[in-house]
Amino acid sequence: MATKDTGSILSRLPGVDALDSETRDGVLFALPYLLVFGVFLLYPLLKGLYMSLFDWNAFNPSQSEFVLAENYVRMVQDPTFWAAVRATALFVILTVPTLVGLGLVLALGVSQDIKGKRFLRTVFFSPYVLTVSVVSLIWAEMYAPQYGPINYYLGLVMSNPPAWLNSFTFAMPAVALATIWWTVGFNFVILLAARQGVSERLYEAARIDGASTWRAFKDITLPQMRSAIVFVTTVQLIASFQVFGQVFIMTNGGPNDTTQTLVMYLYRVAFRQQEFGYAAAIGYFLFVVLVAVSLVNYKFVGGDD
Amino acid sequence: MSTDSKTRFTIPKPKTVGLYVTLYGAAFLFIVPYLYMVSTSLKTEDFAFSQQPYWIPPEITFQWYQAVLQGAPILQWLINTLVIAGATTIIVVIIDSMIAFSLTKLDWPGKRIVFTVIIASFMVPIYANMVPLYTIISDFGLLNSPLAVILPFSAIPIGVFLFTQFFKDLPDSVIEAAKLDGFSTFQIYLRIVLPLMKPAIAALSLYTFVYTWNQFLWPLIVLQGETSFTLPVGIVTTQPTQVFQPGAEMAVTLIAAAPLFIVFLILQEHLVNAVQMQGTTG
Repeated sequence: MATKDTGSILSRLPGVDALDSETRDGVLFALPYLLVFGVFLLYPLLKGLYMSLFDWNAFNPSQSEFVLAENYVRMVQDPTFWAAVRATALFVILTVPTLVGLGLVLALGVSQDIKGKRFLRTVFFSPYVLTVSVVSLIWAEMYAPQYGPINYYLGLVMSNPPAWLNSFTFAMPAVALATIWWTVGFNFVILLAARQGVSERLYEAARIDGASTWRAFKDITLPQMRSAIVFVTTVQLIASFQVFGQVFIMTNGGPNDTTQTLVMYLYRVAFRQQEFGYAAAIGYFLFVVLVAVSLVNYKFVGGDD
Repeated sequence: MSTDSKTRFTIPKPKTVGLYVTLYGAAFLFIVPYLYMVSTSLKTEDFAFSQQPYWIPPEITFQWYQAVLQGAPILQWLINTLVIAGATTIIVVIIDSMIAFSLTKLDWPGKRIVFTVIIASFMVPIYANMVPLYTIISDFGLLNSPLAVILPFSAIPIGVFLFTQFFKDLPDSVIEAAKLDGFSTFQIYLRIVLPLMKPAIAALSLYTFVYTWNQFLWPLIVLQGETSFTLPVGIVTTQPTQVFQPGAEMAVTLIAAAPLFIVFLILQEHLVNAVQMQGTTG
């Protein structure tokens, strides 16, 4: 009852004419979200920049010492930071092209005239609803050198299968493979919708003109699906840059920091070493890189959109 | 099945065969991790550690489920996760639909700037914000509380974006007609906009619920006591058996995965819609 009349009560407030009442209602309806948004998203963004200029005392913030750019200088000179940049770049290279490419292949396949579309869609999309812990625990056991099924079958065809998560070379590819299984379904369903949105008339016209399947793919499918492909690529870039759970659970950054990615290093610096100022600087670096990557991606791949 | 299509399928083209083999082969590979989880959770210790994989355990045991349910507060984690995901979803649907209504159907100075700032903040990863956000949550005295997860996740702008895309398509004439009938702004929102937006609300609710339920890093940081954990955090930070047991690990994993997986199987159309909405509007 009380809420039902809010609008009219407000518009009846003294000194509010018809025009102002819409402004007032507009602001009132925007306010709840803006409050949460301001306090838990915008404010931390600014506070992060501020904190990164201090040798921040995590236990007694008032004792923090202003150091200007020292945290950023330290970052540039920190070999562990650069190792984390390399590990993150490797993960991005291993996952993003595969996630987009495989998602596209599966989407084009399922959009054909075949039986069991719904079943296939359910199967390919299903891992996406699992939490990273579930995914990581399953794959960590499947990779186990002594009793895992992967090395059992590899052992049948090769003499020395890799130790996967304990291997300098194969730990990151192993984490990447688990990630692909987990999230390719997201790209797949978006690209599937995009492919189904392409008018069949275009393909008929191409057939009449005698265009090959490849030509039809290059000249119709790809351009028509362009914005969806740009979208999934951007989302995957952002997600892969921020990889944390998989490496934290499957390898804990090892062996020897080879899989310690940026967010994982950030977590360590902040919550194991309690160096909040330095961690905030790394966080800001990550933020700037992500913005740059998204903008570049939209500018060069996105074109007119 | 008409006889027409049958005769057409009796002589499949090699290309069609290739397509079926590829897709169903891939589907089989996608199912293998599930098979491994289920079968290992039912294996006795000897078979679980055996080098040869037994996809169908020769001997079935429920001991790991028993051990896990006794050894870890799984029910508590389930309730915590449900509270956090449920509350976040409710808050997000209410505040996001309100501001989206305001941005698309009400006219006020500065709303374009507000919209631009919200959309630009899409690129702010919650992880890059985690250190300052942690200090803010800590200053509010919210560490270990479900609110420590609920509030930051209610600030994520994707819902605002999706709702505005949908509200745009709502004809202004409907709103104008309601105004002429003497409806207040709030009544228009409650009695006209929300009922017309049911499909969008359903899709966004499910998406937010799944997204929040599955969060790992942020709950790991702000929930520090075993009894305040969510399922994703609990199952990796607490070992339910004294020594590592593959069977127990897979049992706890399956218990953690089951609730949302069942929801997914029932409501997958909505979830798929919610994901596809992002791609087609973005």
